[in-house]
Amino acid sequence: MRIRGQGPGIRGLGSGIRDHGSGIRAKYVIFAVLLFFCCSSVVAAADVNELIFQGADYHYKGNLDKAVSRFEQAVKLDSENEYAHNQLGILYGKKGKFDKAFREFLTVADIDRQNTFALLWVGILHLRKGEMNQAFERFDKIIQIDQNSADGYYFLGTIYNFRRNPVMAIEYLKKARNADSGEADTHFRLAKAFHNADMIANALLEYNRTLEIKPSYTKALNEIGWIYYNTGKKEAAIKQWRKTLKINSKDRDAVLNLAKVYNDSAWDAFTSGKRKNALKYWQKTLNINPGNKAAKYYMAKYGSD
Amino acid sequence: MHRRLFIKLLSQSAFVSYGLLTCPVLGWSKSAFDLALEGQNLIQQKNFSKAIKALQDAVRIDPESDWAFGLLGRAHLGLGQKAEAVAGFRESVRLNPADTYSRMMIEIITQNPIPKLEKKKRPLTPLEKEAMHEERDMLKKLRAEKGLGYKVKRVVIDAGHGGFDPGAVGQKGLKEKDVTLDLAIKLHERLARKGKIKSFLTRTGDYYIPLSARTATANQFQADLFISIHINANKNRQPSGSETYFCSEKASSAEAAKVAALENSVLKYDEPYKKKQGYIDIEEILFKFEQKLNWSESGKFAKAFQARFKKRLPLKSRGIHSANFYVLRRAKMPAILLETGFISNPDDEAKLKQPAFREKIVDAVARGLV
Repeated sequence: MRIRGQGPGIRGLGSGIRDHGSGIRAKYVIFAVLLFFCCSSVVAAADVNELIFQGADYHYKGNLDKAVSRFEQAVKLDSENEYAHNQLGILYGKKGKFDKAFREFLTVADIDRQNTFALLWVGILHLRKGEMNQAFERFDKIIQIDQNSADGYYFLGTIYNFRRNPVMAIEYLKKARNADSGEADTHFRLAKAFHNADMIANALLEYNRTLEIKPSYTKALNEIGWIYYNTGKKEAAIKQWRKTLKINSKDRDAVLNLAKVYNDSAWDAFTSGKRKNALKYWQKTLNINPGNKAAKYYMAKYGSD
Repeated sequence: MHRRLFIKLLSQSAFVSYGLLTCPVLGWSKSAFDLALEGQNLIQQKNFSKAIKALQDAVRIDPESDWAFGLLGRAHLGLGQKAEAVAGFRESVRLNPADTYSRMMIEIITQNPIPKLEKKKRPLTPLEKEAMHEERDMLKKLRAEKGLGYKVKRVVIDAGHGGFDPGAVGQKGLKEKDVTLDLAIKLHERLARKGKIKSFLTRTGDYYIPLSARTATANQFQADLFISIHINANKNRQPSGSETYFCSEKASSAEAAKVAALENSVLKYDEPYKKKQGYIDIEEILFKFEQKLNWSESGKFAKAFQARFKKRLPLKSRGIHSANFYVLRRAKMPAILLETGFISNPDDEAKLKQPAFREKIVDAVARGLV
């Protein structure tokens, strides 16, 4: 379902309606027919569908107010139109009106208990309120309804990850990955679960898959850095964090990881009598993290000798 | 072969190929556009099976045609093949994010469950093979635990201060950095002996580690809990006893806020999160949810440790406090800061010097973890 992508282009996706061959009117007719098949109850189909189509188009163009107005009119005409209620929920959420959004999704869940889209959003909004158990129940309900729900498994696995229960997290996140392997976040969180369970080959594999989908996923680069560092591949680790800094020069994790590793190297060199090397590493620390209190102190103390 | 003959043959074959591709009489000569148009007409005639065939040919010729993929989605939907329909619409949206219609169809169809599409199998890479063996071996050893209780299997123990930063110094010369290091090492050894929880130290000797590096160590080892050990001090020699701090958005008292402000004053804060307008950032919701969970869990650990201190240490319990500590906030797991006595108080200092008293502290912390 890819609820996490949220589909609609809020950020300037153009009109979204293009004329191919028989043109927009034919497309609209087909849409209306399909919508009629897809929605369980359609009253005054033509009017409602026209409003929905307009609302969807405004939504994709980023005109949230007009989209809300169209969908509100649509649900007045057809109070049981699940798609319109769901769209209203998303739109209210985007406008920061989460209580109203919550009510819309609950309305859909009342109309159709099998509407997993609405259930997912109810769960997500429970998470937003910090209500773990209620959210968990909703996600669990989703996977009972739909055993291929990548999003349902994703959120359950993520909650288990947060509770540091890697075995359960792996079980659910693998199901999420198998249901939809195109989500970078799923691979990343599965990698974290494997990492947490000391399953390094699996963690590395999933971090790599994250990066195949989204090469700018700096959290994955940073974690791969730690895997390399913890297995004695210091230079490879440094390379990973440097890659992160090329993507985002202000990435705090990469800066602090590098500073720590340079500082550790400096201290190791210093204690084994290699003062010159130690100074080189403290200087590197300061280059990456100029405020680093340890490197500053040791450079001031031993740098001028 | 003679060069001139070769060129002649080449030109003839090129001519034949061009003729085959452009001749409308032959089936394979149709362009992707022609086939997509044919597919569209067949959809309008409700001849979905034929439409699918034409459209599959269209996307084979032009795999970049979002239009053909969108039509393919419609044709599949006409036959009730929802998973295939969604796959077609998704490909269309991937090729052309501005395809509102296909996007809307995905949303409508996927409001309810759809069957799963079978994936093609491919040979495993060496890393995939290694991962498969690792998973088979490791998952047998790991026990699945149901329920949402927080599990601690790795702890990072942070000995406060060190090196040029002695921390607080007692009247008799006892230095906070030495006591914290000794306690940290003893706790680490105790946990290693018990074997249930893995522990890691932020420092193993008398050297200074910046605050940021301490939480980086916790992140390095994927710790489930970060424990920072400190000894308290006050200008006034009267205050004594133990207390435990944890991170929260709001300080639990004016005193706790002061302590946090003092610690945070030397550090730069992260840039505030810039919310994207008109977008629900689910990963941000998850991040904040995790932070809230970690802070709440930190509070529970703080309570458990303080209860142990109260029960097992001959020290006054000063309770638990919370404030927005930078060093705790940067940790990506529950994090607590223990203040095991006041070095500025002569009685506490004397106790802190005794190895037996230190063992009691270690014992209380270790028991708080289990």
